[in-house]
Amino acid sequence: MSGRPAKISLAQWEEQYAALRAAGTPEAPYGGPLGRHVRDGDLRLTELQFDNSPAALRLWNFLLTEEDRLHQARAGGKKLLGAMKDLGTVPVLAYSLPNVVAFYPDGAWWLPCVMRMSDGLLAMADSLGVDESFCPVRAMLGAFLSGAHFPIPDLCVCSVGATCDDFSAIAQRLEGLGYPILWWEIPARRRCEAGEECVELPGGFRAPARQVAFVRSELERVRTALEHLAGGRLDDPAVAEGIRQANKVRRLLKELRSLAYSSPICPMPALEMLLAEMLAIHFCSDRDECADVLAELLQEVRGRLRRQEGLLDREAARVFVVNPVADLRVMNLLEDCGGRACGTEYLFCHALDEIPQDLPPMEALARMALADPMVGPARERAERICSDILAFGAEAVLICRIPGASHCATEGAVIAQAVRSRLCLPAAEIEAPPVSDSFQTTLRTRIEALVETVLSARKR
Amino acid sequence: MICAGIDAGSRTIKVALLETGTLKVVACGMGDQGVQQEALAMELLEHLLGQHGLSRRDVRTIIATGYGRNAIQAADETITEITCHARGVRHLLPGARTVVEIGGQDSKLLRLDGDGGVRDFAMNDRCAAGTGRFLEVVAARLGVDLHELGAMARRSAKPAAISSMCVVFAETEIIGLLAAGTPPEDIVAGVQASIAARVCAMTGRNVAEPVVFTGGVALVPGMAEALQSALGRPVAIAPQPQMTGALGAALLACAKREA
Repeated sequence: MSGRPAKISLAQWEEQYAALRAAGTPEAPYGGPLGRHVRDGDLRLTELQFDNSPAALRLWNFLLTEEDRLHQARAGGKKLLGAMKDLGTVPVLAYSLPNVVAFYPDGAWWLPCVMRMSDGLLAMADSLGVDESFCPVRAMLGAFLSGAHFPIPDLCVCSVGATCDDFSAIAQRLEGLGYPILWWEIPARRRCEAGEECVELPGGFRAPARQVAFVRSELERVRTALEHLAGGRLDDPAVAEGIRQANKVRRLLKELRSLAYSSPICPMPALEMLLAEMLAIHFCSDRDECADVLAELLQEVRGRLRRQEGLLDREAARVFVVNPVADLRVMNLLEDCGGRACGTEYLFCHALDEIPQDLPPMEALARMALADPMVGPARERAERICSDILAFGAEAVLICRIPGASHCATEGAVIAQAVRSRLCLPAAEIEAPPVSDSFQTTLRTRIEALVETVLSARKR
Repeated sequence: MICAGIDAGSRTIKVALLETGTLKVVACGMGDQGVQQEALAMELLEHLLGQHGLSRRDVRTIIATGYGRNAIQAADETITEITCHARGVRHLLPGARTVVEIGGQDSKLLRLDGDGGVRDFAMNDRCAAGTGRFLEVVAARLGVDLHELGAMARRSAKPAAISSMCVVFAETEIIGLLAAGTPPEDIVAGVQASIAARVCAMTGRNVAEPVVFTGGVALVPGMAEALQSALGRPVAIAPQPQMTGALGAALLACAKREA
């Protein structure tokens, strides 16, 4: 029905959706035309280009109906957990309980972009003294205050310590406003000292066993809080099953990323791949459906590769993208400029690696949490990025600084330096605010120059 | 036949005309940038052609570069100023390995390989503090002409420390320095050192020689010396440094014609 793979506008999707309905193509209960989200205020959608497959439509609809799903969960008597900052750890625990639904209030950081600043969330954060010197995740404060988006969680759990200075400050401000938070600490991952017991972490990192033990003890506190929230036990077999289900999602994503980023042709646009990867950390409030959404997307990608039908020019420059962009439109821009996403590191690569299943489950989760790229030295993050660049065959690196994000101030230079010196690849840094229209010329110049550099290097 | 390169920069428009085959520069010129970017560029192009008894019919290929490149509808192709400056420098100074380009609103550092191709690049993107705009603001604040800055800086006994990352704050800093009785010469020397330091920060640890300085700011007396001091390496100013991007665009247009 969707024909050859293509990137289409919202208006084109409206026409195609009508055709899909007329043909009787089945859709999920949360399905519908993309345009309805614009009517709900998601104005940025009118300026994006989308993949034209029903699988991509399902992905978008799944993502854009998360708030509805959370309200339905509450109405159905489920407990809501606001997991904050750990990006991929606490939700695995939460979804091990039958009556708890976890989500990331941090996800509100995209609302100013998606709603094209129409909701005033950043202005609300400004009024609370959390201004633009902080990461756009400060939109979360506005979302809590307005109550116009996600329901207020029954419990908020936030990792603090080595994760992110901005987020800690924002979450502290939130708690000060009367939203209690269960804090758990994650230490800065460090190298093992001589004679110190050391353990392997997912993603090839290592950490002292005593750090893992500490994180495990912190996660035990979270487990106890979750048991209180759910009114039932969360034993090791239940957590182990939760890990197995999370790994199912991670395996789907692993294959999706491998096919999409390594293939000679591009079977899925960078924007839809970004959305898909985000599912790894929170399951979009429905773990089972999340797996189904990804399975359909993977099937679409496999089919396109089998038919050798790509979306972009085969000669597109293969670009590894570091950090999620505050403005989704930049993902379109990368492709408009002749680039193609071939590998990503969106600050949660630990949530894409499988959680060890041959360890006691809480130990496995603790190791996974310590593999978070944000809790280790920028140098180790850069090493992981270099290794992934080689695996995906990327030819250049685009580092997207998040405006106001404290870790981005210095990490970008470290990563760029590592890429240049170890891999001899060009790297460019960009910084895009949530609505970057007035920066398009600047952004375009940097991305086009990166693409030109790649194409010129190929000729040599 | 002629190929044209148009560099639609943020402050000025530059046009270079080359004879295809010989790559001889037929003409080059510069005009102020404005709202009607394409009209201004075309006016300049027509003017240069007319001066040499040529017309648009003699122009085989036009390549536009610079921030306003996409506004030049008459262009056959657009190429970023990164690639164009590299091409222009390679033509003028073939051995160059590092190019520093400081224009009106941004600054760039290009690393070239042995063949003159771009290996990597970096650009300022936070503020105009490392650009020509900073010099304009300072000159206006001190009530002097841009071309006087070099001589003033040379008279400085103790360059002022300008620490702000932002031109607006730096201007406030300069007002404070003036109020404190700091000699204007020291302020100018401090500003030039500050711009050079911003560029230096983009270089990372490795700056391969020879280093070539291009862009309109290279014409401002004292800037090359400030850059040389910050980099700790000799810096050569490209011939007609403000024209390097347009020249590169014209050269790429010729190459496209021959391909």
